[in-house]
Amino acid sequence: MSKYTRRSFVKTAALSATALSMPSIAFGALPKVVVIGGGAGGATAAKYIAKDSEGKVDVTLIEASKRYYTCFFSNLYLGDFRNYGSIGHNYYGLAVNRGVNVVHEWAKSVDPAAKKVNLGSGGSISYDKLVVSPGIDLKYDSINGYSADVQSKMPHAWKSGTQVQLLKNKVKGMKKGGTFVMVPPPNPYRCPPGPYERVSMIAHQFKKSNPTAKIVVLDPKKKFSKMGLFQEAWQKHYPGMIEWIGVDTHGGLKNINAATMEFETDLDTFKADAASVVPAQQAGAIAMTAGINKGDWCPIVAGSMQSQADENIYVLGDASIAKSMPKSGFSANSQAKVAANHIRGSLTGSKVFPARYSNTCWSLVATNDGVKVGASYKAGAEKIDVTSKFISKTGESSDLRKATYEESIGWYEGITSDMFS
Amino acid sequence: MNLISFIITLIFLTKTSYSDEKMLALGDKEYGQHLAGECVTCHKANSEKAIPSINGYDKEVFLTVMLAYKNKEMENPVMQMIAGRLDNEQIASLALYFNSLK
Repeated sequence: MSKYTRRSFVKTAALSATALSMPSIAFGALPKVVVIGGGAGGATAAKYIAKDSEGKVDVTLIEASKRYYTCFFSNLYLGDFRNYGSIGHNYYGLAVNRGVNVVHEWAKSVDPAAKKVNLGSGGSISYDKLVVSPGIDLKYDSINGYSADVQSKMPHAWKSGTQVQLLKNKVKGMKKGGTFVMVPPPNPYRCPPGPYERVSMIAHQFKKSNPTAKIVVLDPKKKFSKMGLFQEAWQKHYPGMIEWIGVDTHGGLKNINAATMEFETDLDTFKADAASVVPAQQAGAIAMTAGINKGDWCPIVAGSMQSQADENIYVLGDASIAKSMPKSGFSANSQAKVAANHIRGSLTGSKVFPARYSNTCWSLVATNDGVKVGASYKAGAEKIDVTSKFISKTGESSDLRKATYEESIGWYEGITSDMFS
Repeated sequence: MNLISFIITLIFLTKTSYSDEKMLALGDKEYGQHLAGECVTCHKANSEKAIPSINGYDKEVFLTVMLAYKNKEMENPVMQMIAGRLDNEQIASLALYFNSLK
């Protein structure tokens, strides 16, 4: 360049500004953490790394949705205990209060060798440490006759958002005295008590507006989370409405005919007027592109949530194999704090404390009737181990059940504030 | 007995049987900040919901309540579980940290 023209000056100035605002080796780089997925695991991890490192770590959160609807409490929306808007959240707090770079893009693939994440738009973002918290993908072909096409007719509603709204419309619009068929997923899956809380909330709707309706639950399992508590509640609040049939009775779901709404099992063929079908699940697809999965899920190191396949990648929440910890928002939030502490330690030398995890799952079974199950955990030599646990009891007083429900509302306010502010 | 009078009674009882100062001396606010990650999943600042805010909580009341949960003298299985695995140093650290918040 012989002459410094105005145009080239502007161009150079723009480049310098970019260089200054983006960390690079030449300017004494900040270590970079990229987080994929803005749910209970990813949002919490991004927040805590940014907050606790006090500007010493550059944190980027990649999340396709600008508005995040929580899966937890979506059943309460089905039962009219929450409105849809109240389970929606945004990322302004993370960006403004915590300085997280929030990128609303689709993370397409991970290149672990080059340590970068490729975006759907064609660009890429490089990382020193990567947090993968994509939640679940549904295995549509795990049930004969179910597919991504059929999901609009028989919503799984196992990822929050429009599927849940669709399901609520199906429930409210079902013909009087009709039959609703619910197919829960096989283990392991997101939110173990979720299908049964959903059955309770649908029964609550029917009791109000369609009291002769029936609910048939065709379960691929022989037993389920909080089984005694749910069955007690169904008998008490919705007598004669819910028929739960386990796999050892129906012999297995052979086929779903979406056109005729028929569910074929060894025992019988059940005809539905409305249905919700939740297929088997696996870690979100991005985890598979990173090569950190072993089968459907991602093995982790119990003390840090690091992938067993790559020490620069951490896997949180539903996508991980956390053994005795259930796939829940609470678990993911708890795991995120362990990972955040470990990542910060390895990037900035801050103190790394021993991992401690906890979880509680509340379920609402009827108006002012809440139940809960929970446990605390530590990192064992091979896996995450239970240190203590508890569960609500059958026959508890209505005062205690009301207090448990109110506690769950407090928890919702707490965890969403912890994730997003 | 309501919660307040229960707490006051406990404070009185523990004052005579246990030195709060001695226990608080075991605490470290920074350690408390780390441990607090587990608490703030449920306990939110300025909450008026069933789960109270514990920001700015009195240090001695904090010790008393946590020890009562740990010893299963106060009910609530979640808090009994959380307090149950905290040792005196950890409880004191949390007391110092939450007391320092507004």
